[in-house]
Amino acid sequence: MSEFHRACALSQLPDKGAIGVEVAGVPIAVVRTEGEVYALHDVCSHEEVPLSEGEVYDQTVECWLHGSCFDVRSGKPTGPPATKPVATYPVKIEGDDVLVEL
Amino acid sequence: MSGLQGAVETAPVSRLHEQQSYDPADFAVPSGREEEWRFTPLRRLRSLHSDSGPGDGKVHVVADAGPGVTIEKTEHGDARLGTAYVPSDRVSARAFASFADATVVTVSPNTESAEPTHISVRGESSEGSAFGHILIEVGANARAVVVLEYSGSATFADNVEFVVGDGASLAVVSLQVWGDDAVHLSHHHAQLGRDARLTHTAVTLGGSVVRLAPSVRYAGPGGDAELRGLYFADAGQHLEHRLFVDHAERNCRSRVRYKGALQGDEAHAVWIGDVIIRAAATGTDTYEYNRNLVLTDGTRVDSVPNLEILTGEVAGAGHASASGRLEDQHLFYLMARGIPAAEAKRLVIRGFFGELIGQIEVPELRDRITAAVEAELA
Repeated sequence: MSEFHRACALSQLPDKGAIGVEVAGVPIAVVRTEGEVYALHDVCSHEEVPLSEGEVYDQTVECWLHGSCFDVRSGKPTGPPATKPVATYPVKIEGDDVLVEL
Repeated sequence: MSGLQGAVETAPVSRLHEQQSYDPADFAVPSGREEEWRFTPLRRLRSLHSDSGPGDGKVHVVADAGPGVTIEKTEHGDARLGTAYVPSDRVSARAFASFADATVVTVSPNTESAEPTHISVRGESSEGSAFGHILIEVGANARAVVVLEYSGSATFADNVEFVVGDGASLAVVSLQVWGDDAVHLSHHHAQLGRDARLTHTAVTLGGSVVRLAPSVRYAGPGGDAELRGLYFADAGQHLEHRLFVDHAERNCRSRVRYKGALQGDEAHAVWIGDVIIRAAATGTDTYEYNRNLVLTDGTRVDSVPNLEILTGEVAGAGHASASGRLEDQHLFYLMARGIPAAEAKRLVIRGFFGELIGQIEVPELRDRITAAVEAELA
């Protein structure tokens, strides 16, 4: 059964950028861009690199090591070398809490 | 002359195998960006690479000696331990610092052990980490066969030292047939005396993460090492083999032959084959290869042979790596003769591994490994 877990405080998130957290043992990149918050699996599907350490622009997070790009809404790869999507998770904001469902 | 200095390498450019220490504190906690760790899923190592605690996991080592072979249990401080091998990464140093007891297998000089010595390393549970150490010493001109079998469930790091005396011959078969949740990081290091011979066959079929690093160093000329491997990675399994042959003596020979198959989502195999031929190692003859059969989508293979040669006077030096799907023509050939597709696939895979399995020195194991590979395909 999936349920919502607190991932971080909204105030921890940069206006444009990501932080890496671990929720129920799963590494999650919580991303804020253009006023929206998204949650993705925090391991690039290409190599073992946290996406939360990458750069965020528009609807994209770019892995810093080899430049793989992912759409933060769908987790789909939008730029190589990654070819496989990363998991995305539903996000709910309650007050200052960012909740992630998994 | 000074203009030429630096133009000819006299020391290996690779620094990968240089750091050695018995003290875990001498190695930084890997971050995953290091060359030697970049393929390993550190997140799944249950902190073996950082600090997984004192080692309260339960792993039992039971040895059954062949004729003429002595087996002892010893503790830290036994002067024989760690003489041939100095740990070369943090996990290995942690294992050396933390093992509870060590198993020492000795074959007296000039004896021939007719039956294999079996060493079973069996874990009870993946809870808690465990560390081990095994030393196998084969006296001058002796001959022995050792079968190591890792099974059960564990979070385990160990070092195995093989000291093969002058003119001696040792055949090792190491079976990694762990349960699905096991994590195992292991160094198997062999030191070969003058004209000594070693065959080391790694068969890795089970475990969640298995990272095995067989390495060879020659202590005299004329040594001969054959390192063979066979692995089958299923969905979610990470099976990594990191070979290193250090040719520092003249007229030594090495062969590395590893073959693997992968099937299922996130099945991951890593093969690293490092060979250094140092300036003094004239007359070296080395060749290594890795072959991977990719049976389904969603798998991943990283295969990296590295060869550094510091002398022009070699007898032979080469390496090769290839990863690919089953050859359609092979399947077509068999199917055109009335063999159903699934059966044809099994036959081709059997042929692929058969060459390696046929060379295993213990006949009973050949059938067992063939059956285990077929079971993977079922």
